Amino acid sequence: MASHETILLGAVAYDPKVVAIWEGIRDYFNQSNAPFDFVLFSNYERQVTALLAGHIDIAWNTPLAHVRVQHHTQGRSLSLGMRDSDQDFHSRLIVRSDSGIKGPGDLAGRTLAVGSRDSTQARILPLHFLKQAGADLGSVQLLAFDTDVGKHGDTGTSELDVLDALRKGEAQAGTIGDLVWVLEQTAGHIDTSLIQSVWTSPGFDHCMFDALPDLDPGKIERFTAALFAMTWQNPAHRRLLELEGLKEWKQPRESGYDSLRVALQEQGYPL
Amino acid sequence: MSNGATAAVAIDAGELPMGGGLLALVRPALQLLEPGGVLAVNSSRHQLQDDLSVWCKVQKHEYLGHDVAIETAGSTTTRHLIRRGPLSVARGHRETDMRLAARDGRLSAEEVLSAVPMPADADPFSGFAPRGAQVEAGGPRYPFDLLNRDHVAPPEVASLYDQAVESQWDANRDIAWDQLPDHHPDLERALDQVFTFLAENELSALYVPSRFVSRIHPAYAEVAMFLSTQMADEARHIDVFLKRARSGGGGLGVSSATTSQSLLTLLELTDFTEAAFLLSVLGEGTFLDLLRFIENHAPDEVTADIVCRARNDEARHVHFGMVHVRHELAHDEGLYQRLENAVRRRAATMSGVGGVPDGLQDGLTILAAGSTSPNDIARGHDAFRSLLDEMHENRIKRLEHAGFTPEQARTLSELHTPNFM
Repeated sequence: MASHETILLGAVAYDPKVVAIWEGIRDYFNQSNAPFDFVLFSNYERQVTALLAGHIDIAWNTPLAHVRVQHHTQGRSLSLGMRDSDQDFHSRLIVRSDSGIKGPGDLAGRTLAVGSRDSTQARILPLHFLKQAGADLGSVQLLAFDTDVGKHGDTGTSELDVLDALRKGEAQAGTIGDLVWVLEQTAGHIDTSLIQSVWTSPGFDHCMFDALPDLDPGKIERFTAALFAMTWQNPAHRRLLELEGLKEWKQPRESGYDSLRVALQEQGYPL
Repeated sequence: MSNGATAAVAIDAGELPMGGGLLALVRPALQLLEPGGVLAVNSSRHQLQDDLSVWCKVQKHEYLGHDVAIETAGSTTTRHLIRRGPLSVARGHRETDMRLAARDGRLSAEEVLSAVPMPADADPFSGFAPRGAQVEAGGPRYPFDLLNRDHVAPPEVASLYDQAVESQWDANRDIAWDQLPDHHPDLERALDQVFTFLAENELSALYVPSRFVSRIHPAYAEVAMFLSTQMADEARHIDVFLKRARSGGGGLGVSSATTSQSLLTLLELTDFTEAAFLLSVLGEGTFLDLLRFIENHAPDEVTADIVCRARNDEARHVHFGMVHVRHELAHDEGLYQRLENAVRRRAATMSGVGGVPDGLQDGLTILAAGSTSPNDIARGHDAFRSLLDEMHENRIKRLEHAGFTPEQARTLSELHTPNFM
C-alpha cells in the first residue's frame, strides 16, 4: 500500500506489455524491501510535467525526455540508471539497393523517409549527424512518418513505416535506429538484396531513470539497490529483463546525450 | 585490431549479410566455444562490423574488432573477432559421437536408455528438455514433482516399453467379431454384466496413471512413455469390452456402488508408488486371475480371445508395477509401512460395503456354470469360490516376488478390496 516511503515511478504506456513489465517490477521491488508503485502516462510530455511538479518520484524517460528534464532543472536532476541496451545506440542510413546511394553525400534530390518528429533515433539525431556528414538536407525531400507522436519513437512504428516506404519505393533512403535494423534482419523481415545500410551515425545513448534533485536519498538508495540486484541468471528477473529489452542495468552516463542537446538546439526543438 | 585475441574457431561467411543467413553460421560456431572463446568471421560483406557489433551487444557477446585478412583484386575479406559472452551458455556437455547400435535391424528404447542413463535426481528447471540435451540457463521451473529416479523409474522400464509397443493390437480389426455366436439370454446377460464391470475398472486404470504422467520429470520419459502405452492398452480394453457386451443381443449391465467406491479410492491417490502398488500390483494383479477365469469359462472363442489379449496386456502392467515397487523397496526402508498404511486406509474406506459386487458375483457364477440349471450353478459357485482363493494365493506370490516378506504379503493381500481392482 502507498506510504510516504513508497517510490512512485512514471512510465509511458507505449505498448500493452508495459503493464506486465511494471507490475512485475513492482512485485519484485516490493519483495526487495523497496516499496514501489507506478503510474502510466500516455505520452512523455505529460510524464515530464508530472516529474517536474513532484507528482512522481522517478520517470523512466526517453533521451528527449531526459534532456528536457535536465533543461528544466538547470542540469541538477538526478540520473539513476539505464539499460545496457541504452548505451551506444546508432542511427542508420538505409537505402534501396537500386537507388545508387552510397552514403550521405548522395542524398541530394532524393526522397528520405524519416520517423516521428520526436524519435531520437529515427529523425532528430540522424538528421543532425547526416548534416555533419555532408548531406545537403535542403535539397532532400523528407517523407515523414509522424506515428505515435508523444511516445518518442518507443513503439518503433515509424521505423517500420520507413522500412516499408523503402520496400514500396516511396523513398530511396530512410533513417532508423540500428536496433530495429538488426532485429528486423535477424527476424528475417529484410530482403537484403533490396534494402541495405550504407552509413552508421556516431553513437548516442537512450533511456534513463530521472529524478528531481530533492528526492529522498532513502528512496534513491532502495531503488538503485533493488534495480542493480536484478540478474539475467535469475529466471524471475530474466522474464522482466527480457520484456524491457535488456540483460543488465547500467550506471548512468551523461556523455551519450551531448549530441542530442546540440541537435535539439540546432533544430530549434521546443524544450 | 587493438587487442591480440586469437580465434579458436574461424568461419568463412562469404558475402552473407546479417539478414541473409549470416547468423546461421555465426551462432552455431559460437556454440562450439566456451564463454570467453573467440570466433573469427571472415567476410567480404562491406561494413558488416556495424551490424555485427549491434548484434553482439544484444546477445551479450563482445565484438572485438576487425582487420583486413586478405585483399585480392576483386574483393576484400575482413576478419571480425567475436568473444563469446557469458549468457545463453547451456549446462552440461553437448552429446558427441552418439551412434546407437541397432541389433538385428532393431533400435530399442532399452538401447537408448543404456546409451543415455537416467540421472539419480532431475532438475525441474530443465523443463521438457530431452535427457542428454544441453539446457540453457534461465528457463522457468516446471511443476514436475516426481524428480527422483529410484522413486519413479525401475531399470526395466525401457524394455517394458519396447514390449508394449510391439504388442499393440486393434480391437476393431483383430477380433473375429463376425464369428461371435448367439448364447442363451441368461448366459449372455451374465457375460454383459461381467464385461460392464471390466470396462468400468479399465476406465479407472486409464484415468489413474494419467494423473501421474504430467508429474514425471522428462528425464524419466520412458516411464511416461510406458504409462502412455498402458493407457492406450486400457483404452483398447474399454473399447473391446463394451463392444463385446453390446454384440450378443443384450447390452450393458449395472455399475455397483461397491465398485464405484473402490475405484474412487484409487483415483484419489496422490503418491505415485502407492498408486502403482494399489492399481498395478494388487488391482491388475488380481485382474489377471479374473481374466484367466473368464477366459477358461468363456462360452465361445471370440470372447476367450478378447479376454486373453487383455490379460497379456495386463500382465505387462503388473510386471511394471512389480519392478517399480521392488526397485523402490530396495532403496526406501520406510516404503513397506507407507504401502501398508495406504492399503489399510483404503480398506477402512471400503469397510461395510460388503464383498464382491452382487452382479459380478452372479455373472461369474453363471458364466462358470454355463447355464442357469441348479446343478450347473452349484458347480459355477464352487468355481467362483475357488477363484477367490486363487486370487488370494496369487496375490501373496506376487507380493513376495515384489520384495515383501511372506507375512507382509499375507497382510496386504487380506486387506485388498473385494472389488478386485
